[in-house]
Amino acid sequence: MSDISLSSLGAKVVVAASSDENHPPENIIDGNTNTFWMSTGMFPQEFIIRFAEPTMVSVVTVDSYNVKHLKIEKNTTQSASQFEFGTEKEFENTEGHLQSNALSLSGSSATHLRFIITRGYDHFVSVHRVSVQP
Amino acid sequence: MVKLRARCLVVGDAAVGKTALSHLFNSDGSLFQKNYSMTTGVELLMKCVNIPDTSDSVELYILDSAGKEALVDGCEKMWGEPSLLCLVFDLTNKQSFTNCSRWMERVRVCNKGFHIPGVLVGNKSDLTSRREVEASAAQEWAQNQGLEYCETSAKEMENCDAPLRGLARAFHSLYHERREAIQNLSLG
Repeated sequence: MSDISLSSLGAKVVVAASSDENHPPENIIDGNTNTFWMSTGMFPQEFIIRFAEPTMVSVVTVDSYNVKHLKIEKNTTQSASQFEFGTEKEFENTEGHLQSNALSLSGSSATHLRFIITRGYDHFVSVHRVSVQP
Repeated sequence: MVKLRARCLVVGDAAVGKTALSHLFNSDGSLFQKNYSMTTGVELLMKCVNIPDTSDSVELYILDSAGKEALVDGCEKMWGEPSLLCLVFDLTNKQSFTNCSRWMERVRVCNKGFHIPGVLVGNKSDLTSRREVEASAAQEWAQNQGLEYCETSAKEMENCDAPLRGLARAFHSLYHERREAIQNLSLG
């Protein structure tokens, strides 16, 4: 499943805390690490991915740059609210190449995933790809 | 179009004019408080600055923090991780300039190694006969600290929007620099 982009499966980014029209949040789920969404200042930063239908998620892989701490929340409702804690991770600083981190979510079903970047290694962070495995 | 957001910390000794400058900037020069009222905590002001010759803007969250020694510890907790620094002293008060080193140390402790664009502001430039700090000395110190330098008079509304406008531009350039670096990185 990680070979197929989330957007081609009907997923959408429904909320993103930063906007640079050259680097829109859709770049997170297009399956391509050459394109990215960039935060435009201050922390926390967040984005929410909505799946087309309830989806089993056991591992979330995030390709990013300069992210220091990421928290993932999830829900099983139709609206992007009432999230519960999923997982969190401190990322290593990888100067000069992208970070790639797998976070496990204990194989539960979700309709939304909420990604909260609480800290960064710089003023700005980028997220290049999010993929999920059932 | 890019909308940037920056947390801009305004610090310096008490009564140097931090609040007067912040309010003047925030109100586009329409608000100068004639009566002094000491800031005892951290006041938050928000101002959106358009970057000339672009469609980009920077939302500045201006944290006007109390300068009085006894109140600083309490205020530091509210600084968070600043994106920008505006360090103000009074050109007619040498001690307020000397104390700038201590302010820099305090800021360094909370910024955790981030590069923070900053400006040193010598305020009250209208009081020429009482001046105690030469522009050259302030300029040199600022340069050593990696800060820009400018002089303002909140009372005469001279140059008051220069420091924060300059910081907004610096943050904008920093964003473009970082974005380009990430772009090159992601293309391998």
